[in-house]
Amino acid sequence: MSDPLIQNPPAEAPALHLQGVRVRRGRRDVLEIPELAVEAGETLAVLGPNGAGKSTLLLTAALLLPVAAGTVALFDEPATARDQVRLRRQTSTVFQEPALLDMTVRRNLETALSLHEVPRAERRARAETWLARLGVAHLAGAMPHTLSGGEARRVSLARAFAIGPRILFLDEPFSALDLETRAELVGDLRALLRDEGTTALLVTHDHSEARLLADRSLVLLDGAPAQLVPTATLFAQPATPEVATFLGYAVVARADLPATITSMVDGHLVAVPPAAVGLLDDSAGYEARVTAVQGAHGQGRLRLALGDAILTAALGVDEIAARQLQPGTVVTVEVDASQLVSWPAAGADGRGAGDTARG
Amino acid sequence: MELILEGLGEAWRLLTTGDGDIYGITLRTALITGTSTFVALLIGMPVGLGLALARFPGQRGLVALANAGTGTPPVVAGLLVAILLWRSGPLGDLGLIYTPGAIVIAQALIATPIIIAITAAAVMALPPTLHLQVRAMGANQRQYLWLIAREARLPLLVAVMAGFGAVVSEVGASMMVGGNLSGETRVLTTAAVLEVSRGNFGAALALGFILLFFIIAIAAVLTTVQQRARRR
Repeated sequence: MSDPLIQNPPAEAPALHLQGVRVRRGRRDVLEIPELAVEAGETLAVLGPNGAGKSTLLLTAALLLPVAAGTVALFDEPATARDQVRLRRQTSTVFQEPALLDMTVRRNLETALSLHEVPRAERRARAETWLARLGVAHLAGAMPHTLSGGEARRVSLARAFAIGPRILFLDEPFSALDLETRAELVGDLRALLRDEGTTALLVTHDHSEARLLADRSLVLLDGAPAQLVPTATLFAQPATPEVATFLGYAVVARADLPATITSMVDGHLVAVPPAAVGLLDDSAGYEARVTAVQGAHGQGRLRLALGDAILTAALGVDEIAARQLQPGTVVTVEVDASQLVSWPAAGADGRGAGDTARG
Repeated sequence: MELILEGLGEAWRLLTTGDGDIYGITLRTALITGTSTFVALLIGMPVGLGLALARFPGQRGLVALANAGTGTPPVVAGLLVAILLWRSGPLGDLGLIYTPGAIVIAQALIATPIIIAITAAAVMALPPTLHLQVRAMGANQRQYLWLIAREARLPLLVAVMAGFGAVVSEVGASMMVGGNLSGETRVLTTAAVLEVSRGNFGAALALGFILLFFIIAIAAVLTTVQQRARRR
């Protein structure tokens, strides 16, 4: 039975195919994937809150974690215990920690190539080519402990690409990096994925990474897929209130918002994206009170009491500082009603029923 | 003080005049301790790796047992081996009691738990992501074990040093199962004990210096290997 919220590509030999997969930790099921297919050349982002099972899914797909039930197939070949090493050699995995071996940068790449049975004569040239492509050729003789976080990530990516993987698994590869380094690396990875045509499964907490890198995105909630759609669709049309909440929407009862805002939507439960809420300089809008000022990754966020609802507005940190906003400040806001998403009733699971005002 | 100075003078004389007996004892000590350390490594490293990497019921209990085994008193190990190898004991027919082989067995029994415990601790201290990364790189089981052992090579050299240190300095087990037979099973530690009991402090000091020099020389070699491994 197909699920309208889970849009898998046509079933002709996907690069990665999970069917009926269940993963247990102790006596608890931590992941349950009825079906997940990733097309060759596609990048799929896996999003979800902490503990949702994102890394478990990645490890399972990378054949690094046993399944309690179901099958994982790479390029139409179901992974059996006997085939795992051979199949793993068609993949590369980059973890949150670069996990470089305690040997020179060049030898790290050469060791990976030797495990993939690349002839000795080719190893050095390939290692140096990939170090150069990632801009770290000058670090070939360096030991991993002398590298900065960004350099180590670049080496880790070079090692992953050097073996020519058919599928690349990326588990939050750029976390714990400063914004500038992270932005550069995301840009470089985007170019590499496009140039090499490598299929990729990217686990990330960063929505902007998913937007920039992924063709489709999967939201995992409590170890199960909640929505799997093209990335742009996900951020514009979360399918359930739970997905909307995870994506940063304020999910409120329609009755709690001024009727002039909700006149274009039908449901009883309304999700308001932060981008739909803007601050105005004049008084021709809705009066709202700041309840909290938050910030992360250089982006500011205001929590605003509007009517009986609490909304979120995305705002630059500079603007927050310039306006001297703090809890209790009264501001005038506008809400772009065309960006609202609604569901029939509060408490209903809303599956498949998300409507946008844009229609 | 006079006794010490006399002892030092005697030690210097014995060492510089090339006393054949002393050099024989030193060579025997090197052979016996080297062999017992090697045997303990052959058993201890794979067992330690297995304890750290395998998942099975009772694993923690075995690690605790290995940790407890690091404190095995040499006389207890010696007693156990003596009972087994005694002429009327279960392995008495082998005729090993009061031979260098008996000392090797007893010393290996002392060093093996130390090497198991340090090996297991060294491998368990590696970041979990490293294990996943090595497997994700496509390593088969043999390559995986090799790369993991390589990553833990510095603490593994500590295991070698600790195992060797334990056997070269013990006296109780060697005395019990070797019998301190002149020209056959007398090693540096048992010879030193004998010389003290005879009041020959000079000879005892000479043996002590050789023992210290021996330990320092081996430690220096292993430390050099360790530092080279770190730079590699």
